[in-house]
Amino acid sequence: MRDTAETVLALLPADVQYGDIRVVRRTHEQVLVELDGPGEVGYDDSLGLGLRVLIGGQWGFAATHRLDPNGLDSVIAQAVGQARAAGGGGHVALGDPVTTRATWSSPMRVDPFEVPLSTKLDLLSATVKEASTAGPLVQQIEASIDLYRDEKVFANTEGALIEQTLTESGGGLMVNAGNGDDLQRRSFPQGVPRQIRGQRGDFATAGWEHVESLGLVENAARVAAEAVALLTAPQCPDEVTTLIAGGNQLAMVLHECAGHPMEADRALGTEASLAGGTYATPERRGNFRWGSPIVSAYADATIPGGLGSFGYDDEGVPAQRTQLVKDGIFLGYMSGRESAAALGDRPTGASRADGWQRLPLVRMTNICLEPGESSLAEMIAGTKRGILVDTNRGFSIDDQRMSFRFTTELGWEIRDGKLGRLLKNCSYQSVTPQFWAGLDALGGPDEWKLHGVPSCNKGEPLQVAHVGHGTVPGRFQNVQVGR
Amino acid sequence: MSIERADIEQALDILGPGTRLDVLGENAELLRYAESEITAQHSERRLRVRVKVNRGARTAGGTLETLEPAAVKVLADRLTAALADLPAPSGEVEPAPVSSGTTPEVEQVVVEPARSVLDCDPAVRHEWFATVRDGLDDSARLGGAIRYDVLDRVVADSAGLFRSETLTKASIQAIAKQDGQSASVKLVHRDADLIPVAGIPARLRDALRPLPVREPFRGTCRVLLKPSAVNTLIATFGHWALGAQHYASGRSVLAGRMGQQVVSEQLTLVDDATDAAGLLSGFDAEGNVRRRTPLIDRGVLTGVVSDQRRAELTGGVPTGHAVPDGWRFGGDPVPSHLLLDAGDASEDELLAECGSGLVVNRLDYLRVLHPKQTLVTGTTRDATYWAEDGKLVAWHPQLRFTFRMDEVLNAVLAVGAVREIGDQTFMDSVVVPSLLIDAGPLVLT
Repeated sequence: MRDTAETVLALLPADVQYGDIRVVRRTHEQVLVELDGPGEVGYDDSLGLGLRVLIGGQWGFAATHRLDPNGLDSVIAQAVGQARAAGGGGHVALGDPVTTRATWSSPMRVDPFEVPLSTKLDLLSATVKEASTAGPLVQQIEASIDLYRDEKVFANTEGALIEQTLTESGGGLMVNAGNGDDLQRRSFPQGVPRQIRGQRGDFATAGWEHVESLGLVENAARVAAEAVALLTAPQCPDEVTTLIAGGNQLAMVLHECAGHPMEADRALGTEASLAGGTYATPERRGNFRWGSPIVSAYADATIPGGLGSFGYDDEGVPAQRTQLVKDGIFLGYMSGRESAAALGDRPTGASRADGWQRLPLVRMTNICLEPGESSLAEMIAGTKRGILVDTNRGFSIDDQRMSFRFTTELGWEIRDGKLGRLLKNCSYQSVTPQFWAGLDALGGPDEWKLHGVPSCNKGEPLQVAHVGHGTVPGRFQNVQVGR
Repeated sequence: MSIERADIEQALDILGPGTRLDVLGENAELLRYAESEITAQHSERRLRVRVKVNRGARTAGGTLETLEPAAVKVLADRLTAALADLPAPSGEVEPAPVSSGTTPEVEQVVVEPARSVLDCDPAVRHEWFATVRDGLDDSARLGGAIRYDVLDRVVADSAGLFRSETLTKASIQAIAKQDGQSASVKLVHRDADLIPVAGIPARLRDALRPLPVREPFRGTCRVLLKPSAVNTLIATFGHWALGAQHYASGRSVLAGRMGQQVVSEQLTLVDDATDAAGLLSGFDAEGNVRRRTPLIDRGVLTGVVSDQRRAELTGGVPTGHAVPDGWRFGGDPVPSHLLLDAGDASEDELLAECGSGLVVNRLDYLRVLHPKQTLVTGTTRDATYWAEDGKLVAWHPQLRFTFRMDEVLNAVLAVGAVREIGDQTFMDSVVVPSLLIDAGPLVLT
C-alpha cells in the first residue's frame, strides 16, 4: 500500500499544484443471529485508492480498485483530466503544508478478528434465547456483531506519509413485537434510524473487549419484555411539558443540532446539494446563543475508544479537540484544510472519507457535551410533570438544522418526582436554539458516556461516517411532546 | 468496465455449489458546485463482487473488489469454514439460489445503454453547469451536482444462471438561491442527451419569482404537491407498504387488505422496470426477471413485490425485487421502479382547484416514525408558496409536516397530466405527476 502511494505521487505531472493519495483496505466481518431464522455470516474486503489533485486551483478526484500499473496510470489520467477540464481560474487555499510522517494504530486489548466464529455465534445465540423468553408476541429478534478494520496509507506532495490502522467493534440487539394492531421495536444498546444491518448497536474504536462489555445477554430479556409491554402501553400525550432525555437519546439530538450544523463546509455552502446549509453561519461565531448557559459542547478525536477517534484525519492533520459551544454560545467549527483556510482558521482535523473511493469531507469526530452537576435521579425527582424518553427510533431535521422532530422507542411519564407509566410512540419537536435554551439540568461526570454511532450520512455520493457522542442525561423545559 | 463471463464462471467453480454472485462494475462521474463555483469533480471505478453461499440451509456471504482467483479462493475457504460453524436453523430458512431466469411468460428486457453516458466527457458536464449558471440572474447563486453513472451488472449462480446488462443514468440537480429564497430542479434520464438542460434556467427563474413572504399558515388547507414532492411521498409509501415481506409479516399498513380500497380511486400505481417512461432494468439481485407488477388499481390494492423468499405471495413467481445482500436499507423485497399514472389536469388547473392553499415543490428528510401507521415527518424545501384564488401570491416559510401517508393518499382531489422521472437513494426510479391533496390530513402547526 505504501509503495502504491509513493508510486502514484511520483507519476503526477508537473502542473499538479497539490496532490494526495489514500490507499485503503477495509475489512468488515458481520455475524447475525435471528429468532427462527438462518442468520448470516459475512466477510467484506475492499481495497483501492483515491487520488486528489489540484491544478489551476481546481480539484480533480479519481478512485479505483485496480492497483496494477494500468490502473494507476488510468486513475492519474482521470483525476488530472477532470482538474484540467475545469479550465483553471480556481482559488483553493489549503493553509500551512502538512508534512507529517507517522504511524498510528487504535488501541485494543483483544483483536476481534482473531476471536473464533463459534464464540461470536454463542454470544449472539444466547442473546436471542434470552430475548425469546418475552413470549409469543415477539415476532423478530436479531442480534449482531460487526467488526471493521481500516488500514490506511495517506501521502501528499508536501511530504506527508502516514500509516494508520483503526479497529472498530460493535454489537446490538433488535426486537420487534406485534399483536396484529400494533408493532413496537426495542433496540439495545441504542437505536438506529432505520433497520440497517451492519450499523446496529453500540460501537467503539476498540477490540473484542467492547463487544463483551455491552451486556447483550444480560439485557436481552428486559429489552424484549419492554417491546411487548409497549404494545399495550398508553400513547404519549400531546402537551408542552418537561422533557428528560437519556444520554443515549441526547446523543442523536446533539448529532443533529450541533454536530452537522458546525461542520465548516455546510457553513460555506458546499453541501447545499444534498444535506443543506446551517444556522451556524460564520458571522454568528461568538455571539449566537445556541443554548442555555449550562451547556458546552466540543469535538474531540483524541478520546481513547471513541468511534470518531483516530491519529490523523484523511488530509494528514492530527486529531484534536475543538470547542464548538461554550456556556451556551456557538464558538467554532469542525473543518478540513480547505474549509479552514476559507474561514481564516487552522484545520481542526475533521476531514474524513468513507473508504478509498470517496472524497474527504468535513465529518464529525466525537461530539461531546461537557457534564453538568445534576443526575438523572435528581432530574426526575425535581420534575412535577413531564416525560423521560430514551433510545432513538427516528428523526427528521430541516436543511438549516433548526426545526426537528425526534421519536423514541420508549418513554415514561413523570408525576410528582416519580417515574410513572411506560408510554409508547413518544416524540417531541422543537427548534434548535429554543430547545437547548430550555436546558436546565445536565447529568454529572459519573453519568457521562461515550456512544458509538456508525451511521452518519452525508455527501454526494453518499458517505457513511463512524462517529462518537459523549453525553449525559439532560432536562429541557417547555417542549412540545406527543405522538 | 466489462465483466468477463469466463471470470465469473471461474469464480463460481472456486466457490462451489450453492453460490450466487451479484457483480457490479460501477463507473461514476460527478461534478459538484456551490455558490456558482465548481467545488469538486469525482471519478470512481469500482468492482463489487457480492458472494452468497447457501448449503444445507446455512448461509454465508461476503464481498470482494476483484475476481482474481487467489482472492476468491481466500473468501471461499472462509465461507466454507463459517458454514461448518453455523448451527442448523430451527425455523424458516432461506431458499438456496435457484436459476429463476427460465421462469415462463416474461423475457428479460434488453436495456440499451445510452452512448451519451458511456462516452461521458468532463467537458459536457462543464457545459451543463455553465448553461444553468449563466442563465440565471446575476444575483442568483447556483448549487448542486451533475452525475453520470454506468453500471455493468451480472448475476450468476452455480446452477447455471447468467444474466448481464449495462445501465446508464445521467442527472442534474440545480438549486438556485436568490433574495433569501431557493428553488430547485432535478432531472434524471437514462440518456444524457434527453435531459433538457437548456430549460432549467427558465424553470428556476420562474420559481424564484418576486413575491412577498407571508406569515406561517396554521391549520389545514389544500396542498398541491409538485412531482418532486410526490416522488418522495410515493417512494416512501411504496418502500414501507408494498413489499411482500412487510405485507406478510403485518408490518405494512396494507397487510391483509388485498383487493380492498386502500387509497384514493384516483391513484393507479405499478412497479415496472421495463417501462421506458422510467429508468430500465432487466433483473434483480437474485437474477429474477423484473416483471411489471400492478400494485394499486384505482385505489384498490392489487399486488406487492417479491423475491424468491416471498414468491408465494405473487403467484409463486418472484416479481424481480430482491435487494442486494447487505443493502443499507434492509433485506426485504421492496419496489424499485414505481410509476404513478398521470391524470388529466394541467398544472394551472391543479393550482386553480387548490384555490387557497399551499404549493410544495419538495419534501425533504421525510422519515418514518411508525411504519405500521405510515406516520412520517419531514419538511418542505425550496420554493414553498401560498396560493389564493388559484394564484401564487406569497412565499410560505419552510415548514414541518407530520402526517400519515395513507391518509394523504386517500385525500387526493386531482392528479396532474405531466409526469417527471426521479430517483431516491432507496429506489432506482420513480415517475409521478403532481397531486392535489384535500384539506384534512396535512396540518400546519
